[in-house]
Amino acid sequence: MTGNAEGLELKDRLSLIETMIAEGRRSTESWGWVFVLWGVAYYVAIAWSAWGNHQNQAWNITMTVAMILTFGTVAWRLSRGQQKSRPATTLGRAVTSVWLAVGVSMAILIPSLGMSGRSNSNLVVAVIGTLLGTANAASSMILKWRLQFGCAVIWWALAVISCLGTQRQSFIALLVANFFCQIVFGIYAMICEARRNKQVANHA
Amino acid sequence: MPELPELNPVIHGKLRLALLSLLSGVEEAEFTWLRAKTGATDGNLGAQLLKLEEAGYVAVKKRFVQRKPQSLYRMTEAGRKALTEYVQALKQLLGGVIGS
Repeated sequence: MTGNAEGLELKDRLSLIETMIAEGRRSTESWGWVFVLWGVAYYVAIAWSAWGNHQNQAWNITMTVAMILTFGTVAWRLSRGQQKSRPATTLGRAVTSVWLAVGVSMAILIPSLGMSGRSNSNLVVAVIGTLLGTANAASSMILKWRLQFGCAVIWWALAVISCLGTQRQSFIALLVANFFCQIVFGIYAMICEARRNKQVANHA
Repeated sequence: MPELPELNPVIHGKLRLALLSLLSGVEEAEFTWLRAKTGATDGNLGAQLLKLEEAGYVAVKKRFVQRKPQSLYRMTEAGRKALTEYVQALKQLLGGVIGS
């Protein structure tokens, strides 16, 4: 009888450890909106450059506005999180570092290619596809999220199409990849995040 | 018959065990977050965190955010090692209880 009570007490301790570790790792961060924002930004830039006369300006202005909106919102949310005393997790920092590194690489490489005069649209799309494929793949492996790895495969396929195909084929592939991997995936991620945060609120 | 291990008394307290487990999943955590997750009172939480700090299992850092003081706690390497050993001992004991 004593042994049984002791066993229950020990099991209770083990269950407490598991629950608390899971509670500590539970994330309330939301990043789906960033995918949607950049997906819309790409479409705005593509539409503006296709129907306007200022192709370079269309990309420069749209990308700069998207970047300011992203960094501004992230900085605001981080400061709000600090006030609300949300703890930083290793998982969150790992995913953020992957996207930050890829974002900085794109911000440096793409304008440099444009200024060098040695690039063409196929090369730029191939670079975008490769870098976004890398970020999505790394992020999916950290988060163990198969759907995001699917997005990585689509971005890599875009890079290959851009290297081997015509300008028109590369352009169509970019529109399709952007729709599925930024807009659709972003909205799906936002729905998942809203559900998870609701569960966390109910749990609290 | 192998000797059963003893459980670390510093960690064995329910609140201290909950605190170490919580801190093992985050880089660092603020006092109010720990209070919200454990449901402990300020006094009890402060006392248990002090015991863990004295044992060298957690480290504390004080800072000001918008002029309000914040205490940030993080698990030390010694704390991580102690928690790992505690879980191993617990599993060994559970095996012993089930076996007997």
